[in-house]
Amino acid sequence: MIQVNNITKTYGRKQNAFVAIDSISFTIPDATTVAILGKSGSGKSTLMHAMSGLDRPEVGEVIIDGSDILKLKPKAVDRFRATKMSFIFQSFFVQPNESCFDNVSMPLEIANVPRAQRKQKVEAALAAVELLDKKKSRARDLSGGQKQRLAIARAIVNEPEIIFADEPTGNLDSVTGGVVEDFLFNYVKERGATLIVVTHDEELASKCDGRIDIKDGKISSIKGLDKKGAKQ
Amino acid sequence: MNTLDIFRRAGRSLKQAKARTILTSLAIGVGAFTITISLAGGQGGRDYADAIVNSNTDVRELLVTKENEDADTIPEFEPNGAGSARAAAGGGGGGGFTRGLQFISLDDVEKMADINNVTAVTPSFSPAVDYITTEGQKKYQATVSPFSPSVSLTFAAGSTNGNLENNQIILAENFATTLGFTNPADAIGKTVQIGATKQRTVFSGAVAQEFSYEVAAVSSESGLAFRSQGSLLLNETAISQLYTFVSEGTSGYNRFLAASVIVAEPDQAEVVKATLEEQGFTAQTSADVLGTVNTFINVLLGVLLGFGALAVITSIFGIVNTQYISVLERTQQIGLMKALGMSQADVGKLFTFEAAWIGFLGGTIGAGLAVIGGIIANPAISRALDLGDISLLIFSPLQVLAVIVGLVLISIVAGILPARKASKLDPIEALRTE
Repeated sequence: MIQVNNITKTYGRKQNAFVAIDSISFTIPDATTVAILGKSGSGKSTLMHAMSGLDRPEVGEVIIDGSDILKLKPKAVDRFRATKMSFIFQSFFVQPNESCFDNVSMPLEIANVPRAQRKQKVEAALAAVELLDKKKSRARDLSGGQKQRLAIARAIVNEPEIIFADEPTGNLDSVTGGVVEDFLFNYVKERGATLIVVTHDEELASKCDGRIDIKDGKISSIKGLDKKGAKQ
Repeated sequence: MNTLDIFRRAGRSLKQAKARTILTSLAIGVGAFTITISLAGGQGGRDYADAIVNSNTDVRELLVTKENEDADTIPEFEPNGAGSARAAAGGGGGGGFTRGLQFISLDDVEKMADINNVTAVTPSFSPAVDYITTEGQKKYQATVSPFSPSVSLTFAAGSTNGNLENNQIILAENFATTLGFTNPADAIGKTVQIGATKQRTVFSGAVAQEFSYEVAAVSSESGLAFRSQGSLLLNETAISQLYTFVSEGTSGYNRFLAASVIVAEPDQAEVVKATLEEQGFTAQTSADVLGTVNTFINVLLGVLLGFGALAVITSIFGIVNTQYISVLERTQQIGLMKALGMSQADVGKLFTFEAAWIGFLGGTIGAGLAVIGGIIANPAISRALDLGDISLLIFSPLQVLAVIVGLVLISIVAGILPARKASKLDPIEALRTE
């Protein structure tokens, strides 16, 4: 369960201060898929960064599995990210010069998974996105859709409880995007994981259980979720 | 993250930027090359000096001179006094006016002989002879020196068994050929004559006389000999007879510039040296001689090492620059790794290891080339400097290893700032794409 309590993040200082997210609260139950929608600059990315501990709002709490990740020490937050959550980005961020295997292996190395267990896990993740035959190919030789599937393999290899996806299909055509979405939703359903998608795409949003609309740093509407503390 | 995994990732990152890695390594390689060569040269030089000193001196031998108490004052002229060094010109054939040095008299020789553990004292006889000749040959200029068993000689023919009879002589190889012998072996057993002139004194005119010796051996040139080279060697009795003939009756007779003192056991040399110095003599052990030579070698070595250090300092900036560019290029990768939970410390380690790899590569390339080049060049150097079978560049595995390890450490230090920059990178900034 992810509990977001009254978080506020301000960029800049004094006259230049800009409130990116303003007193946002909501709760996401386990094994839920949630879409966060909003125009660019609305604060949806900042919200995602705050929920994953990448960014630190100056006010509020983000409670995941009972602990406030904003109060954890940096090392503990790193550990949290390495073991419990993962990311998918619009621009894939696969390492072009490394093999598919090494790309997927990185989160396992970071999480200190012993070498002996890595091979089997990496291959299982690559098989899940149907890229096992590309194991030894360099990531730069893949097509856009394949790169994003590789990114999904990288995101699921460590069996995270929460996946953050930032415009996962934004750089893909609708057919390829649809395939990528299917892989993503399949994993989440099978594992009972939580998926948080930041997107513009109404169609993608409609596949999610819940939906949060952000406008000017505030929640403008919230559906399918506990509205505790949400401002209308 | 496991250190070994970070290490492997660092190696892979460098492989992906091959040209840059190799060029940066080469810069540090120049330093490694220079330092390895100078260390090898220093080692070789010291070993060479050691060999020279050991084959020319005996560890039981001390070279004794007598200095003026006040070396800065030029001594007054005393016509027949014991203090003046001037009279040397006539009899001793030594150095003429030798400022700061006093003569060693026979009394001094006795005093030295009385010191505990001293087994023998030999004044340095150096009689000025006129020529050497043999039957049917011209007369050639010559100098004679005392034969010392402690000087190791290489023989072209004959041998001495460490001992030379009163009527025997050792010829240098060039004398043997000049005197018309067909080869060195031909000279053995033949008789040669040395001509000398009794110095003119108040009472008698100059008297010339020839002394005959049998050739016992012919010495060949050695890369190690510096004493007695090219001269004719006689034993002490023979040379003191010559000396007495030439110098007796002159003011410089029985006054010597130096004397050699032999002690019973090598470890007594330092004690005897102290006693001698208490008595107002200056004594040099073979260790002292070696020390002087080594000081000279160390100065040369220091200069070379300085150049090497300069090259290393230059390459440090190369590493810093390369690593900064690498951090800039890989901003996204760093951001991603941090987002995936890689700690600041591990990101720092990744870049530190990359710098260490560069240092290792450069150190290995430079030191390796130095060793290979040195091994190839050694025979040529020895030939050019006429060193015989002595190598001037001696590589010790430990030193080469120390150079590589040292450069790895320096590279790590050079990599600190870029690694810090990488570890402090904000993942959100790094992953922002427009």
